[in-house]
Amino acid sequence: MTARSFRLPRIPVWIWYMLPGLLVYTAFMAVPLFKSLQLSLYTGSGFQIDTFVGFDNYRRLLTEGEVSQRFWGAFGHTWVFFAVHMIVQNSLGLLFALLLSSEAIKGRALYRTIIFIPATLAIVVTGFLWKLLLNPQWGAVNLMLEAVGLGAFAQPWLGIEGVSLVVISLVSSWQWVGIPTMIFLSALQAISGDLFEAADIDGASSWTTFSRIKLPLIWPMMGVVAILTFTNNFNAFDVVFAMAGANGPPNYSSDILGTYFYRVGIAGEHPVGIPDMGLGAAVASIIFVVLFVGVLVMRTVFQSDGTDD
Amino acid sequence: MKTLRNALIALVLIGLVMPVFAGGQSESNAAAQGGGDVTEITFGSWRVDDVDQMNRLIAAFNEEYPNIAVVFDPTTPPDYNATLRLQLESGIAPDVFYARSYATGQELFSEGYMLDLSDEAYVSERYDDGARAPWQMPDGTQFAMPLVAVSHGVYYNQDLFDELGLDIPQTWDELMNVAQQIKDAGYIPFANGLADEWDIAEVVWMNIAPGFLGGRKARLAYEAGERPFNDDAMVSVFEAMASLTPYLPDGYQAINYNDSKALFLLGEAAMWFDGSWTISEFEASNPDFNWSVFAPPAPTADAQAITFHPDAGVAINPASDNIEAAKTFVEWLSGPTASQILGNELAGFFPMVADAPTLTNEHANDFLALNNGRDLDVRFPWPKLMNGDPSGYTLIQQGSINVITGNITPQEAADQMEAGLSQWYEPAM
Amino acid sequence: MAAVQVRGRRIGSHIILSVWSILVLIPLWIMVINSFKSKLAIYRSPFGLPDQWTLDGYLSVFSRSSFPRYFFNSIAITTISIAGIIILASLAAYAIARWKSRVSTAVFLFFLAGMMIPIRIGSINLLMILRNLGLLDQLIGLLPIYIAMGMPIGVFVLTEFMRTVPPELTQSAYIDGAGDFRIFWQIVLPLTRPAMATVAIFNLVVLWNDLWFPLIFIRSESQRTLMLGVTRLFGQYQTDWTLILSTLTVATVPIVLLYVLMAKQFIAGLTAGAVKG
Repeated sequence: MTARSFRLPRIPVWIWYMLPGLLVYTAFMAVPLFKSLQLSLYTGSGFQIDTFVGFDNYRRLLTEGEVSQRFWGAFGHTWVFFAVHMIVQNSLGLLFALLLSSEAIKGRALYRTIIFIPATLAIVVTGFLWKLLLNPQWGAVNLMLEAVGLGAFAQPWLGIEGVSLVVISLVSSWQWVGIPTMIFLSALQAISGDLFEAADIDGASSWTTFSRIKLPLIWPMMGVVAILTFTNNFNAFDVVFAMAGANGPPNYSSDILGTYFYRVGIAGEHPVGIPDMGLGAAVASIIFVVLFVGVLVMRTVFQSDGTDD
Repeated sequence: MKTLRNALIALVLIGLVMPVFAGGQSESNAAAQGGGDVTEITFGSWRVDDVDQMNRLIAAFNEEYPNIAVVFDPTTPPDYNATLRLQLESGIAPDVFYARSYATGQELFSEGYMLDLSDEAYVSERYDDGARAPWQMPDGTQFAMPLVAVSHGVYYNQDLFDELGLDIPQTWDELMNVAQQIKDAGYIPFANGLADEWDIAEVVWMNIAPGFLGGRKARLAYEAGERPFNDDAMVSVFEAMASLTPYLPDGYQAINYNDSKALFLLGEAAMWFDGSWTISEFEASNPDFNWSVFAPPAPTADAQAITFHPDAGVAINPASDNIEAAKTFVEWLSGPTASQILGNELAGFFPMVADAPTLTNEHANDFLALNNGRDLDVRFPWPKLMNGDPSGYTLIQQGSINVITGNITPQEAADQMEAGLSQWYEPAM
Repeated sequence: MAAVQVRGRRIGSHIILSVWSILVLIPLWIMVINSFKSKLAIYRSPFGLPDQWTLDGYLSVFSRSSFPRYFFNSIAITTISIAGIIILASLAAYAIARWKSRVSTAVFLFFLAGMMIPIRIGSINLLMILRNLGLLDQLIGLLPIYIAMGMPIGVFVLTEFMRTVPPELTQSAYIDGAGDFRIFWQIVLPLTRPAMATVAIFNLVVLWNDLWFPLIFIRSESQRTLMLGVTRLFGQYQTDWTLILSTLTVATVPIVLLYVLMAKQFIAGLTAGAVKG
């Protein structure tokens, strides 16, 4: 007791500045995360998760009938969801950034403002709005296709297996394209104008300027964007929930890890609604591991390539 | 320029805060009445659409019991089970609440979240054995008082049927024939779609199944393991589901329950499989719309059966601070005044009391009339097939969707049902 | 030759950018314009101006007793959480920037790890923690979670910013005999205001728009946030598009308007998570 009270003043003063934030962060973020890993080894009903079952929840998820079928489905769909964002959202972002970085374009500020608007909307709002627009009977999308003579392409977009997931991913890309645009734009604008002038004098084509000068300089930013896309997509839930529902219809084809986690660990399956929290925790732990490994891998990929040149 | 912008920002912020002050007024009106010592109890439910009707019911209650204020606090149906469970587990649940029948209710009772009502005289006196059964444990313990049942049928647009000179179909073949004529006339035969998933299971499959399977007796035989879940009758239900495909709206894969309602209300679709709970909504949104309802057609006319499903019971929260007041309210709900108001205010929800009141709502009576001379049963999977993984509900739902889209054959859907249920349902193993 | 090429390229750029702008604006236009139509008119003619303007949707949004409540709840929880994040994060950031040691670097990295790993994964345990604290189904229960959620980005942005504060400024104050806290309060904090704006805006958008935590923790009508209210309205038993579109518009307009007025700060805020190379 006395020893401790002697030591007290010796605690560096900065600890006291850090402590409140650190405590809240630890108690409500770090601890729940790690407890989730632990919880995944238990089973029970409702909040009484107290029977230790080892890796049984993981065995069920990875190998057992219906459960594993849903899990692997959701796992695969999450990668598709991620891939569409990487390809569509990030390429468009890069394209817009390249266009906007040219001094000669008038109205840059206006374009920039508009491109970024969707990013400020709530994901649920975007989801509900697009759900209405994609409605097969009254939705604007199909009516527009008909108006321009492409009525044959009108589809029940959210009702077809395989199509639905891609459409949802595209809507989500529509929403978030402003983020990579701005990141790339700030990287491009940081590139010194001298470089381009020099290239211009050398008579370099615009492709050469892009691939030889701009690309290597924004390569590290691509890493940032890729990691950001990755973490956001493996964590996604709202957009599928709003557009398709917690089951990821049709036939679970737009079910992603976020919706699966919600169904299994939190809400329970309709209409009985009894969650299996141990199994849910196992899903969460797998998401955790995928994110952790994925981010590490991406960091090395983009860092090493960036320093090679 | 800068001041202008700041002024605008300020304006937006004010706009943000304004509703807050506007909102203050609507708070406490429930406790305002009746001076003296007022006990307040909350009444949980999944009927978000019934707030006005329930408040009239509560007003009638307060004429007799001015000292018990009842606050009706509903949650949307898809969230109700999870919500209630969370509230019960964290000790903030309503004092009196709607109880789901069968497995979902039993689960809550066995965890201690419902008061045992076995000894309440009014429950056993005012309700038949059949009405009480859905809210009993296997040993007969009564965990909730029956309140209302819902019916199912096929809504149809009377004006359109008259215009096209169509008769009410009795058999499934006749239904298909009628559907074809409607389609030829340029209308959508059935308003139903697949997007929300629950409705294809609850209001289509479970609506028509008793007529194909052989009603209540057949369900008991399936449950006892005497009939396999992939016998010919079961296959024929899925065949009927598959035969609907050409008569659903364009883009039916993404048509949700709300779209279906709108298609039917706008007169674009001539028929709609649904339950009696939609009556009051239709009457409210388009009072001039001329519609009625017929019994779900079956393979033969005399095989027709109606799904008359025990929908809502009322349970008391044992952790309530006002159990006596809660009991008073629940007992009153079983009485004649309440039944009269329930049946007429909540058109489409039928009071389950033994001496049911006469109803004044025409559409509600249309539904009730379907019961005459037909076998009645509850929704097929509810009594026994819900409490496992995969549940009978999920198998019916996914099977229906997949046969309608042509992903699998009706035989495969029935086989999947047998295979899925035999994983956990003992009589089927 | 080259001039023609450049002009051609410029026109091409304009075409691409304006097509995308239209793609962004049309859905929003449809949302706003249809919210002024009557219930059935939306089905009959989803585009174009309404034949008859109606405010029914908006009137029922605000006359529904609970909607103003949702608004109030969202404003309250968002504001208080942001204040909490800024206070706690700037204290921690000051410590990390001011006292360099192995421990403070470790703490900094510990905070940064939170930027990569979504807190949602811990939801089941958060559910249990809140239950044990008796904070389930209470708006205030979201507060510690939102603060924890905002800490990583807050600490990161503020630390980076505080490191750029010239040491001469604090040193001279130190020599004048000012205490640590006074230096922090009177010198460092005022200088970090732009960074605080970034943190505030980032969290404003994230917290205002959050659905997940209200969805799993909040049940009662009186405790709901705006996004949860919107989701519930969209529930399965509703057919009223006018009401729903009015609701979506009401939920969206405040943030979008703020964004249009303060675009620069918003963009800085929302891309802040990625600034670190």
